[in-house]
Amino acid sequence: MSSNGGMMLTGNAAAAWGARVSDVDYIAAYPITPQTEIVELLSKWVSSGELKARFVEYESEHSMLAGAGGAALAGARAFTATSSQGLAFAFENLYAVSGWRAPMVMVNVSRGLGMPMTLQVDNTDVLSVKDTGWLQLHAETCQEILDFIILAYRLGEDRRVLLPVIVNMDGFFLSFTREPVYVPSVEEVREFLPPYEPPHGIAFSERELAYAPTIILGHSYTYFRYQMHLAALKAKEVFYEISRDFEKIFGRSYSPVEKFMLDDAEYAIVSMNSFTSIIKGAVKRLREEGLSVGVLKINMFRPFPVEEIAEALRGKKGVAVFELNLSTGGGGIIYPELLKALYHLDERPKVVLDFVGGLGGKELTYGEIRYMVRRVIDAYRGGEVSPHATLLFTEEDTRRMIADMELAGKSWGGF
Amino acid sequence: MSRYRGVKDIPEEEYVAPGSALCAGCGAEIIARHMLKVLGRDTIMVNVPGCYAISTLFPYTAVKVPYVFAVFGSGAAVAQGIRDGLDILREKRGVNNDRVNYKVVVYVGDGAAYDIGFQSTSAAIHRNLDFYFVCYDNEAYGNTGFQLSGATPYASMTSTSPPLGDSVGNEYGKKDIFEIWRAHRAPYVATISVSHVTDMLNKFEKAKEFRGPKLFVALSICPTGWGASQEDTVRIARLAVETGMWPLKEAVYGEVKHTFIPRRLKPVEEYLKTQRRFRHLFKPVRRDEEISRIQREVEEYWRRVWEKELNR
Amino acid sequence: MYRFRFHGRGGQGIKTASRIFSTAAFLEGFYAQDFPMYGPERRGAPVAAYVRVSHEPIVIRGYINKPDVVVVGDETLLYDPVADPLRGFGGGVLFVNTPLNPNLSVDGEVVTLDLTGLALEHIGRSGAISAGVGAVACKIAGFSESSMVDAVVRELEEIGLPDELIEKNVVVAKESYRGVPSFDLDSLPSLSESDFLETDIVHVRLDEGEVGIATIANLGNSAVRKTGNWRILKPIVDYSKCTGCKICFAYCPDVSIHMGEDGKAHIDYDHCKGCLICSSVCPFKAITMVREVKVM
Repeated sequence: MSSNGGMMLTGNAAAAWGARVSDVDYIAAYPITPQTEIVELLSKWVSSGELKARFVEYESEHSMLAGAGGAALAGARAFTATSSQGLAFAFENLYAVSGWRAPMVMVNVSRGLGMPMTLQVDNTDVLSVKDTGWLQLHAETCQEILDFIILAYRLGEDRRVLLPVIVNMDGFFLSFTREPVYVPSVEEVREFLPPYEPPHGIAFSERELAYAPTIILGHSYTYFRYQMHLAALKAKEVFYEISRDFEKIFGRSYSPVEKFMLDDAEYAIVSMNSFTSIIKGAVKRLREEGLSVGVLKINMFRPFPVEEIAEALRGKKGVAVFELNLSTGGGGIIYPELLKALYHLDERPKVVLDFVGGLGGKELTYGEIRYMVRRVIDAYRGGEVSPHATLLFTEEDTRRMIADMELAGKSWGGF
Repeated sequence: MSRYRGVKDIPEEEYVAPGSALCAGCGAEIIARHMLKVLGRDTIMVNVPGCYAISTLFPYTAVKVPYVFAVFGSGAAVAQGIRDGLDILREKRGVNNDRVNYKVVVYVGDGAAYDIGFQSTSAAIHRNLDFYFVCYDNEAYGNTGFQLSGATPYASMTSTSPPLGDSVGNEYGKKDIFEIWRAHRAPYVATISVSHVTDMLNKFEKAKEFRGPKLFVALSICPTGWGASQEDTVRIARLAVETGMWPLKEAVYGEVKHTFIPRRLKPVEEYLKTQRRFRHLFKPVRRDEEISRIQREVEEYWRRVWEKELNR
Repeated sequence: MYRFRFHGRGGQGIKTASRIFSTAAFLEGFYAQDFPMYGPERRGAPVAAYVRVSHEPIVIRGYINKPDVVVVGDETLLYDPVADPLRGFGGGVLFVNTPLNPNLSVDGEVVTLDLTGLALEHIGRSGAISAGVGAVACKIAGFSESSMVDAVVRELEEIGLPDELIEKNVVVAKESYRGVPSFDLDSLPSLSESDFLETDIVHVRLDEGEVGIATIANLGNSAVRKTGNWRILKPIVDYSKCTGCKICFAYCPDVSIHMGEDGKAHIDYDHCKGCLICSSVCPFKAITMVREVKVM
């Protein structure tokens, strides 16, 4: 570690450090690529005594999440990490943990869901659990992974919120990428993050409780479900509060959305996660080419920051949504959420177009990014508009596909 | 020396309240009562979907100790998280109250023990989790209307194994969960029956001596699903023991000992005839082949026990 | 449209009764819709079933709030706050299964018949009243006896009853049918009312901390539920025979037997569900049973 706390860390290592400096009490683990390094590192630190916590490797993600949630309900600060298939296997327990209102943090290293199986990134895994009662923070950089984990504990543990949080990073593009990360000390983090004592925790509640009784009648079911929704909405307000504290101590500041060269831009590209870095770089060059475009990055997907998005895109001529996900038969998953944020705006962008790319870790090229912007400008000027997502698939992709198909023994001539 | 010599010694304190919505005559309620009498008030119950979930329907609960509801397959995994969480609070954060020393008991039906929760239970035993796992075994999915489970005995009718045409009902045998658990080398594994309360109390008491998994499978009569009279719950359970169909035994670190050894067995027919789920073995025509298969399996089992434990 | 609401206890066949009625309506040429509502509770707990019968296609579904006819399969439910069978009732026909001749002060016609007695007499089981309840509803609606019998046979075959038992049920159904009057439902004042509820919307706000989380703090509060009204048969302790051996206490599933200061067993009738395990395990035959009748 250097004197100012800077280290070259992969995204996975940054996640492990985030858990370590948050002084977690409990780590529930199960291996899966590309997440495994996170729990390996934590296991090492627990064994060596560098992190005082209990580490338990479960026999599946389904049990892993149940166990992590049980520990969080007991009153321990719990951490876990998974990816794609593991997230899907744990699916019903996502609802159990949020329904217990047991705050904890789970890192999802985003990867596509089989079949066909892949190891590479596709955010459809994490976006398919958007309705489970977990808050979602999406990281673009390794520093954000670490910072978002610390923020996520403070956010979820707030007595106005009491909900678990997913911190998402893209598999490979962030999980295995090293870059400088400032790692605060446990003491510094302790100043920001008070000890976890949930008001309803098994060890801490004023009275002993029966947790999550079955509910037969619609009025009580509705009340408790809606309380979770209100608590999730409240989380955005709480996020601003804690970000101010975070900035005072660590000097870095976060908001539910981030604007990049956006304020003076006529057009915008909306993006999430690590590919945003590629888009930012491309936008700088597109500016040089004379295209008036900026970037709106969504850091927080649940609660969905509708007001911030409306404010940021007010008055823009057109918006391109870049989606590293695909809802089969629907299109991009961010797109309808974004339209909801814009619909009631007086000065809403005239055109909003949806683009799907980068699936399975497919490279996002400069040409693709420029294509998105040009399509939006063209649509603003009266060109083609469509509610359907446009797939970013290049001539080079086609050539490679023709070669693969030939090897696979399938006759295919391309598009 | 057993602590409980008869029903006279049953502890007075009740940790189950009246007024639950469980069926009249339910065996799972009798087991829960006695289990909690022995484990005492510093116990937390983990429950999953199944009949006993009906004990706790918002805004009512019949369980007087703290209670956590988990998804169907996650009883043992949640118990692991709670046990570990409480332990780490004590060891790392210095929390020192009665709560961190709760006994954790997973109380679930046979679907959760034999089938959907089998993996998580096996893994918790493998990790030597310090907990109680108690299965009220009514030999089918009672809460959803009596479908076939891994605990359903041979030839039982269930709503998904109807004895129509040539079908005998359930064509598979019952999984031997006692032996499966025993193979995990758990410190304590026991069978109990709703009919033998003193035996049950002593086994729960004995289990307290051990650190690690303490596993119980309890014969729990289901008058609704079995097609039996409510008042016969105890009589039927007693017949299960006396016909030899439900052996009462325990295993300490794998070493098996029977806690009740019948000198001679009542014919299994006496048991089978008390329940509508076996009616097709007798009406419209008597199915001797199936009845004698059940009888033969019971006799083979006890011949081995008699040889081993009575040197007979 | 005629709205029939059936109330009973789990295990009495109220759902089957409602299906017998709606199948008979279908056979009589009506549009019909039946819908049972029950939680995970089983035998003994209150259940309801809703049947709509109409000359026109039915464009509503779900609960019936303002029934034209209420059919109560178990008299003990009449004043049960959970079942609340008289909710929204007024100006229609109320049927109660009871051996008594009650003087009920309700707005509407009251019909009674001892269906439990008929079931005991012909089938030998007090709970086997589905055919009787269904038949009574058919008669109240003025359906033909042949449609009613046809419906009873179809529905009981559907649930897998053997032929001999179906025949006995048909006997009960015919006697029940003949034991109650028929009504001109079109003249009922309740029919003019819509079944829609007028309601106001409130603004739900966030309740912070433990309050808004689904938990129960009153552990053991099920005791406020008086499950004693589930009983069909009632256990009675003969104190000249009770030795205080505690065996009944040991086996009571519902914590409804207490050992008193006199050293003898005392039954908590507020909660005893009437399973009668106590009577069957008593070595001294000190616990007998009588049929439960609630005075209305």
